[in-house]
Amino acid sequence: MPGMNSGLSPDDPTLVAAFRSALLHQGTIAFIAVIFLWLVWATARTWRLTTPSATPGTRGTAGGAEVTADTAEADTVEADAGQSERGGSREARGRWLLRIGFGVLWILDGILQAQPKMAAGLPSLVIEPTAASSPAWVQHLVNWGGTVWSYHPIQAGAATVWIQVGIGAWLIVGGRGRWSRLAGAASAGWGLIVWIFGESFGGIFAPGLSWLTGAPGGVLFYVAAGALVALPEGAWRSPRLGRLVLAGFGIFFIGMAVLQAWPGRGFWQGTVHGRPGSLTAMVQSMVSTSQPRFLSALLSAFSSFVAGHGFAVNLVVVIVLAVLGVIFLTARPRLVRYAVWFGITFCLADWVLVQDLGFLGGVGTDPNSMIPMALLFSAGYLALTPTPEESVGDTAGAGWGQRLQALRPRMLGGMVASASARSVAAVAAVAVIVLGAAPMASAAANHSADPILALAIEGGSTSLDLPAPGFSLTNQDGRAVTLASLHGKVVLMTFLDPVCTTDCPIIAQEFKQTAELLGAKDKDVDLVAIVANPTYRSAAFTQAFDRQEGLAGVPNWQYLTGSVSQLSAVWRGYGVSVTDLPAGAMSAHNDLAIVIDGAGNIREEVGADPGPATTSTQSSFSVLLSQYARQALGRS
Amino acid sequence: MGLALACAGLAAGCGSRSQTAAGSGAGHSGAALGAPAVTVPLSTSLVTSQGTWAITVMGGSAASEDNFWQLFVRPTGAEQWSEVTPPGVADNGGLVAAGTGTSLVIGFRPSQDLAFSPLATSIDAGRNWTPGLLDADLGNDPGALAVDPSGQALALLQDGTIQTAPTAGAAAAGQWSELTTRQALAASAPGRSCGLQRLDAVSFRLNKTPMVAGSCGRPGVTGVFLDTSGTWQSAGLTLPAAYRGDQAQVLGLAATSGGNVALLLAGDSLLAAWSNGTHWTVSAPVAVGAVRASGFGTGGSTWLLLSGGRAETISGTGGSWQALPAVPAGTATLAPGPGGSYDALAVAGSKLTVWRLTRGAWAQVQRITVPIEYGSSS
Repeated sequence: MPGMNSGLSPDDPTLVAAFRSALLHQGTIAFIAVIFLWLVWATARTWRLTTPSATPGTRGTAGGAEVTADTAEADTVEADAGQSERGGSREARGRWLLRIGFGVLWILDGILQAQPKMAAGLPSLVIEPTAASSPAWVQHLVNWGGTVWSYHPIQAGAATVWIQVGIGAWLIVGGRGRWSRLAGAASAGWGLIVWIFGESFGGIFAPGLSWLTGAPGGVLFYVAAGALVALPEGAWRSPRLGRLVLAGFGIFFIGMAVLQAWPGRGFWQGTVHGRPGSLTAMVQSMVSTSQPRFLSALLSAFSSFVAGHGFAVNLVVVIVLAVLGVIFLTARPRLVRYAVWFGITFCLADWVLVQDLGFLGGVGTDPNSMIPMALLFSAGYLALTPTPEESVGDTAGAGWGQRLQALRPRMLGGMVASASARSVAAVAAVAVIVLGAAPMASAAANHSADPILALAIEGGSTSLDLPAPGFSLTNQDGRAVTLASLHGKVVLMTFLDPVCTTDCPIIAQEFKQTAELLGAKDKDVDLVAIVANPTYRSAAFTQAFDRQEGLAGVPNWQYLTGSVSQLSAVWRGYGVSVTDLPAGAMSAHNDLAIVIDGAGNIREEVGADPGPATTSTQSSFSVLLSQYARQALGRS
Repeated sequence: MGLALACAGLAAGCGSRSQTAAGSGAGHSGAALGAPAVTVPLSTSLVTSQGTWAITVMGGSAASEDNFWQLFVRPTGAEQWSEVTPPGVADNGGLVAAGTGTSLVIGFRPSQDLAFSPLATSIDAGRNWTPGLLDADLGNDPGALAVDPSGQALALLQDGTIQTAPTAGAAAAGQWSELTTRQALAASAPGRSCGLQRLDAVSFRLNKTPMVAGSCGRPGVTGVFLDTSGTWQSAGLTLPAAYRGDQAQVLGLAATSGGNVALLLAGDSLLAAWSNGTHWTVSAPVAVGAVRASGFGTGGSTWLLLSGGRAETISGTGGSWQALPAVPAGTATLAPGPGGSYDALAVAGSKLTVWRLTRGAWAQVQRITVPIEYGSSS
């Protein structure tokens, strides 16, 4: 997966600091947005209450629903168009459970995404390992998402935090009606993105699939829950929905039981030829996760137990899954009730003993599959047994004519004033989502990486204002080039060994990409490399290097060389050390990029060590160099 | 996206790649099509008027970028070896040597992001080196480079193309031109009769005629060809009747003072063959396992380092294979010395131990610590 991993450490201090700063910055904006919305709402309500027409008992329309002005005081009344769906009944208990449960889970996931390692570490520590055992087409698809992330780790990391917190808050405060259903749809949509790109389809196409370890991916349950919340509330009034949900779980559990029981998958043996079986290995790997001691001790004890009683443990799992599946398929409420309680207990046990809570270790992104699964089948049971209060008839939503009316300024003001606190909070939650999604969308559309990666590798550049040492050398075409001959143009300079096998070809590619990024400004910039090898320094080598790197056709590329004494003088002048190393090693030199303005002054000195030299870091260096070139052009 | 899934993926994602038996960077020139019997390692030795040269890989890490190829020389008349690897280029891809009477040319096989092959020439036993350039990927065969005393050079590339430079100056300046390709040679009359599958080595005949050796798909036929005024023809090397049913592969080819010497693999036997310019003499066979290294000495002498510590030598035309005592552990290459003696160069990480065959036994005579720059190619 070539573009997935930036190659930088997840703990890189520059990236961690930038991630924190972005979160703080966006958090402040989110806070201000929420306050602003509250102020607008409160002002509109105050204005409505103090205007002569807003006498108690006066009837008005807002969003097509009739309200009285005095009821605007009561936050429990919803005046948005979706209110009509309520019909005055209580929200179905199953729906409420999904909404609040998954709202809390999304907020928890958002908070987990704010862990310091997430920005730089998610692709390499979570996405890439998960995709590694999946088929090539899955890896290809996942690589696209991972590449976008690794090119823009700060924007992606922060966006994920706000999107998930926003969806969670929206689900919780959305209550009922269209706003709430929309929150469900958003939850399902985002969940699908996470399931595909973050979980590689929950690993369902990879070998070793097991219910115990999280198949078919925890986020798929978020998707299902979101879809259920997005259903018209009428669907929750009949036991049919509950039967469907439980039937789905019944088939799922039976399928998982068959998979768990399938011979040859390593689940029946605690140990195989002295090596841990599938489940034992899984639990053992969890023991090493950074976590409280009592948890690791518990897991350690359980892994020993599984190692010694692998067959019995798997037998219990297979039987429980099969029995749960059959009971759920019967959809008999009394039986299902007991099965749900037992299922919850079993899920919690697996969550602790096998999945190790899912979110520990610094790169856990969610609590894995057991909690969302338990919430979902519990909601299915509640939907199977709706209370009479939930069985009140539905009313039609507002007509389009009424909605258009609401767009008139006066009507809009009225609608804002009469909106419930819930609706305002939902709008605030949407604003938080937009706050995260907008910069991420912008970043995803930008095919160049964020310069923060280059800054993280080099630790920043040095701004200077010094006269550049002069030189008189020969370019790859045999033409004499001096610093004076480049006057009036910005010079991006570096030092390259034409027979270097590692850094120099990468730096050359970064310069080439810089030329592409500069676009029309490219004609005002000269890309200059100076040979950094005392032996292999003739024009034949600079030309061979140019052919190798595809630089022969780049019009403003100049690869300069000269005698050893000429080159040594330039190396000294620019603080570059070139040394021949013994025993088959390449010549050593420091990697440097220097920005010289049109007046011949050094403006910027950048360490050009390409670091991990991934596609994202190369792109990042190019962006950084092009930014410096533009700045120098601005000064010229 | 729980940690559990991530870990499950990790466990399933691990893997390892097998290494070639030769362990020296596999892959012959010319995109092998048939079933190659042997991968010839680059470890070798050769003799010029300056002295005896030996090439071997050293390092100690499994990572290829920490394996550095080294060139050692034992100057004529000297007892001791010195490390004289040409500076300025990372040689993780391997070294290929070609000697004339007065000079030694070293070709650096490209590695990592380098796509062409720098050259280095010495006329003073490795004290000083003159750079040269082959703007192409030099083949992964010990016989991929040849230079005749006039300075004319031949290079077998990884893709099976053969390039030539008319003079040493042209070779230094990177002025090489294409002589032929594997496909063109395979399409020629001798190539068709051989069923040419790949090219293994280049050399010169005494009269500066380019000579190319390859592997034939047709049993009983050897693939040694001569470029006579732009037309390729068979060099006339035929296998003994006992090998008419075996495919033949040329493991090595070199010029000698009186002609050429070739090392042939036919079935599970190795044979040496010598040409005096008009006809070939083929030795008796020697049974082989895996060939660890091979090379030529003066007068057409040939040596083989085989698996299991075996080593065989043959002195020249009309000679017979002689087994050497089991070589010391870690022996990477052999090097002929004066009077038919041999040195065994044993490698352990960055240490080279020289063992000399004295009175029928190996005696340690020298130990060299090579200052390998671990991590410099990472």
